[in-house]
Amino acid sequence: MMSKTKRSILYWIILAPLVIVILFPFAVMFVTAVRPRDELFVYPPTWGFSEFRWENFAEMWVKTNFGGALLNSLYVSITATGAALVLSIPAAYAMSRYRFVGKGLYKNFLLMTQMMSPIVLVLGLFRLMMTLGLVNDLNSLVITYAAFNMAFTIWMLQSYFNSIPRDLEEAAWMDGASHLTSLIRIFLPLAVPAIVVTAIFTFINSWNEFVLALTMMRSAEDFTLPVQIYSQVAGRYQVEWHHVMAGTVLATVPVAIVFSWLQRYLIRGMALGAVK
Amino acid sequence: MQEVSRFGKLQGFVGWENFGEVFGDPLFYESLWRTGIWTGAVVIGTLLISMPVAMILNDDFYGRGLARVLVMLPWSISLTMTAVVWRWALNGRSGLLNATLMQMGIISEPIEWLAEASTAFTVEILVGILVSIPFTTTILLGGLSAMPQDAYEAAVVDGASGWHQFRFITLPLMKPFINIAIVLNVIYVFNSLPIIWVMTEGGPANGTDILVTYLYKLAFRFGQLGKASAISLIMFGVLLVFTLLYVVLLSRNEADATPEEEVKSDDE
Repeated sequence: MMSKTKRSILYWIILAPLVIVILFPFAVMFVTAVRPRDELFVYPPTWGFSEFRWENFAEMWVKTNFGGALLNSLYVSITATGAALVLSIPAAYAMSRYRFVGKGLYKNFLLMTQMMSPIVLVLGLFRLMMTLGLVNDLNSLVITYAAFNMAFTIWMLQSYFNSIPRDLEEAAWMDGASHLTSLIRIFLPLAVPAIVVTAIFTFINSWNEFVLALTMMRSAEDFTLPVQIYSQVAGRYQVEWHHVMAGTVLATVPVAIVFSWLQRYLIRGMALGAVK
Repeated sequence: MQEVSRFGKLQGFVGWENFGEVFGDPLFYESLWRTGIWTGAVVIGTLLISMPVAMILNDDFYGRGLARVLVMLPWSISLTMTAVVWRWALNGRSGLLNATLMQMGIISEPIEWLAEASTAFTVEILVGILVSIPFTTTILLGGLSAMPQDAYEAAVVDGASGWHQFRFITLPLMKPFINIAIVLNVIYVFNSLPIIWVMTEGGPANGTDILVTYLYKLAFRFGQLGKASAISLIMFGVLLVFTLLYVVLLSRNEADATPEEEVKSDDE
């Protein structure tokens, strides 16, 4: 058996190449975002640059309508998360606490819906939204994101709900509380951490979604962040890379920080539920 | 199966014509073949990297918390953003990957990574692997942390080497988790549009098109909704097979988990 120090050194050496490749895009993002514009296309290419140009961020914000896209993304992600949670908390509660006919079937059905990715359904969804007059309407994204996230939220919530002991609720029933009262007054307060964690992951999923947003949102003022940033790259003769990278920094870093802080809950939730 | 106009109006039933058109299209077969390579290479590559990474992250060492955060990092970022950043990093003239390689003296001329289909596709597969690692590692970690420790202790007493422990204890016990990681990754990678779409849009000259990018192009660039729908349905069929496989694997795991697990450690 190796000592812990020796083992740590060995492990970090093995992990080093992967860590470098993972951090590489972040470095590219930062270095490009703060570069002066005329040092973007230098030859030979180099990492070095003359000064930190923080004004790039302010310039980008104004020129690319970043604020508008940010608001769109926030609106869509928050409402979709809210809708998904309101609909999945009762479902997850029922799956965790009650026995009912077809429970196994329902579980498998949830899994199957998770497999049907947006891209396979995008044509049908586009035509559906066309009929409903919701193309170019952010609410079309709210509905579809909520729907596509439901399987995941129910699954996550259920696995956490299972770990909340039943005793308290049973005690409340003994004292004459109805199931609804015990659900609202006793169970939900206990489940707040689980709900918050699930909400944040749903938020991140919606925040990052691309295919549906690209399809449904046809005019620039309705773009969400991923589409807005993509639109600055695609089909342009001249790409303002320092603006694009400043945009990706602002759009990704806050999410990445929250995610890093919460990732162990995701690992736990998946270990509890998704795999078993 | 309907002839559909650009604005989604049905123009009468055309029978199997759309399918006939799809099956008579050489680009369809090329994309299909490339989808196979894309899915296979990304899934296998991801698994080969994730397994040792998960085993390391499951062991106790200094800085494990940090290592876990770092490995999970690509997961938090939208595939679109990752692909945009890589598209710039791989820029043929001034991309920072070329800068790195040139400043390290590995290459003397910048490489046009995305200008040729073969290099572009290879690079896209590598990026695909990179973004699939966090999810796969998470599933494998879940499996490893549930591993019974006494099996290893017994094996050490019996004098099993590290490799033998891995081959005869870890691998068999991890099999259900590996299977699920494979099936889920196949489904996700098979469906994944953003990486290829953002980096090359299936080009140059359809050289990096996979089924999803081809489908998206047909539908929203060329307005051939009928043909695109036919491809959708074909993909739907393929996905259904994998989904059923997943459900079967899951229920088999559940059945396995119920009785007391007997751990067999082969005597060496």
